[in-house]
Amino acid sequence: MRVDAVVVGSGAGGGVAAAVLAQAGKQVLVLERGRDVTYEEIGRDHLRNHRIARHPHRAGTDLEGNPRVFVDVAGRERLVRAHEPGFHGNPTLVGGGTRLYGAQAWRFLPADFAMASTYGVPAGSSLADWPIGYDDLAPFYERAEWEIGVCGDHVASSRHWPRAKPYPMPPLPEGLQARALRQGAAALGWDVLPVPLLINSVPYAGRDGCTRCGHCVGFACPADAKNGSHNTVLRRALATGRARLLPEAVAERVECDPAGRVTGVRWVDRSGARHVVEAEVVICAAGAIETARLLQNSPTRREPYGLGNNHDQVGRHLQGHTYAWALGEMPEPVHDGLGPGVSLATLDFAHQNDGVVGGAMLADEFTVLPIAFWARNLPPDLPRWGLDNKRYMRENYRRVMRVGGPVQEIPSPDARARLDRHVRDRWGIPVARLSGTTHPETLRTAAHLAGRARAWLHASGARRTWTEPAHLALHAGQHQSGTCRMGDDERASVVDRWGRVHGHDNLYVMDASVHVTNGALNPVLTIMALAFRAAERLCADW
Amino acid sequence: MAADLTASQSATLRAVVDTVVPADDDPGGVEAGVLRYLAGQFRGDLAGLLAYYGAGLDAIDAEAREVYGAGFALLRPGRREALLKAVEAGDTHTPWPFDAATFVSTVVGHVMEGFYGDPGNGGNRDAVSWRMIRFEVRD
Ligand SMILES: Cc1cc2nc3c(=O)[nH]c(=O)nc-3n(C[C@H](O)[C@H](O)[C@H](O)COP(=O)(O)OP(=O)(O)OC[C@H]3O[C@@H](n4cnc5c(N)ncnc54)[C@H](O)[C@@H]3O)c2cc1C
Ligand code: SF4
Repeated sequence: MRVDAVVVGSGAGGGVAAAVLAQAGKQVLVLERGRDVTYEEIGRDHLRNHRIARHPHRAGTDLEGNPRVFVDVAGRERLVRAHEPGFHGNPTLVGGGTRLYGAQAWRFLPADFAMASTYGVPAGSSLADWPIGYDDLAPFYERAEWEIGVCGDHVASSRHWPRAKPYPMPPLPEGLQARALRQGAAALGWDVLPVPLLINSVPYAGRDGCTRCGHCVGFACPADAKNGSHNTVLRRALATGRARLLPEAVAERVECDPAGRVTGVRWVDRSGARHVVEAEVVICAAGAIETARLLQNSPTRREPYGLGNNHDQVGRHLQGHTYAWALGEMPEPVHDGLGPGVSLATLDFAHQNDGVVGGAMLADEFTVLPIAFWARNLPPDLPRWGLDNKRYMRENYRRVMRVGGPVQEIPSPDARARLDRHVRDRWGIPVARLSGTTHPETLRTAAHLAGRARAWLHASGARRTWTEPAHLALHAGQHQSGTCRMGDDERASVVDRWGRVHGHDNLYVMDASVHVTNGALNPVLTIMALAFRAAERLCADW
Repeated sequence: MAADLTASQSATLRAVVDTVVPADDDPGGVEAGVLRYLAGQFRGDLAGLLAYYGAGLDAIDAEAREVYGAGFALLRPGRREALLKAVEAGDTHTPWPFDAATFVSTVVGHVMEGFYGDPGNGGNRDAVSWRMIRFEVRD
């Protein structure tokens, strides 16, 4: 088979890339490792989902034959399966993370692109500025907001970002959590804004509005009102007639000729048979861990450690978000059962916090599954079982509220995704070996933010609040990024400012791997915007 | 109940389940279907843990005999709770084949899954725990 472009992965970045290329007239093949599953197949299993996985997942990665090796803080290594701590997984299915995500649709803040020049570089960290700034990305954020579909409050958001155009949809109506938190913020003099969401607050682009079902984050949407790659960009790519999507197709290796020109992708079908698809251009969008694995598993004579890896950068700076949070017991119920749950945020502590580097957006929580509430939301002095535990659950499930947010991690070059030398997956491909932690500086920021979260809950009326200190660890699961960072200097980065792998004319990365730093907010809109920008440029130059 | 536990292990498990989630105005763990949840899991995701469960339940029973002179299932609720708390704290009086505290926290986790998880998993009969805490499902 021969196509113009192969896109590896159908998630946030891959979906956008496929659409832009197909709409520009290119023949595109999308290889997706996961299955094309229905809403019913994903289901509403409270014990097997990407919010709380107490048993093997329903939405990938499959249990059998897909382990990773995880090396913990103490240097102990162990084999981990997809639902186990240490795996650092994201959904593996058509649409990738976007099928099941919570759909928070944040732009990174202008200062997020300039962390090193704003704060200096903490010793031992690989904190760096992006080669591009907010203004370079702003038009593509707008495109993502309109083409994938975001609801939000333009006026409130405009206090934090220069924005040319409103959101295509108004925010969802606020519920009890937001009402309480608005009062608290007013008492503290903090600015708040509705959380922008990749959700149809009203019917949009031919699909219905959100029915507020409450099984949002970690699940597929029963109303098809949550917008992701699967129901927007991928659909549009396929509608051109020039794109093809192959589920259960695992990219094994990017093929390259002796001159360094990429020629296609070798992939494995569900029976284990190998195929090669030839292509003018290859776009890696398999997520930060799997993209790094794919490049490293594609060595050549010129690049013995994998494509783009002659400066030992592929797979380093693996990062995500350390979460800072607090829980508060409110005098009145604040759980109204209306999904998605997350609703109101403050950006007052995303930057410019005295004495710490960076910060985080803080917001309320998604609707909490009862079993997750039991596992994570109870006060630390409450017995874990017995009558007191049951009583507390009964009286306080609707009262306890979490405020938290994704702390911008200070990256470390030693946080890595490599190929394991011994363990192979079901198809004989070396699995990812994850090691290292975020930089310790991240923990100081997290502690500061947890204090802010507590203050907000108290001001909102909480009778008591509690939190737990963040640990020095790798936090590169759902928000994994950074393994093929973008930069002008090829010795310190993997791709250029357009997502093209240094030293290769026709090899691109268009997923979270390219993030230099991962922002003080959730990353997905940035992944989409970067993919729009890179793919558009690729087509313009083609 | 779980096909491969002995009758006495099953009786101990039943008593443990109602100690972890005791009945009050709302049903306890057994009435809410936690045993049914566990039986299903022992044929599925937890199949590999059946022997672990059997050995741990035997050990709890042995503790009860040592401390109170009667099997765990025959103790009154206050003593069951006290015994399980002691075992959870590692305060044991008989030899254990593995870490006692880990066993208790593992079982507690599974019982809570059966009680607060979705009814589709075989426990939480008629969503009884969800009604108790007022978690409502909407479409
Ligand atoms: C439960 C949950 C909630 C989330 N909530 C939010 C939120 O509210 N806001 C936000 O900003 N972000 C959220 N995220 C994170 C967001 O989904 C991810 O950041 C985003 O999807 C990452 O995009 P990506 O393109 O890098 O990779 P992905 O979306 O992970 O896509 C990668 C795709 O590549 C496929 N793949 C991997 N390896 C191969 C291979 N070898 N061959 C073929 N295919 C392959 C994978 O199966 C996957 O489909 C959430 C994630 C989860 C799981
Ligand atoms: S809360 Fe709304 S957008 Fe989220 S899954 Fe439910 S209906 Fe869909």
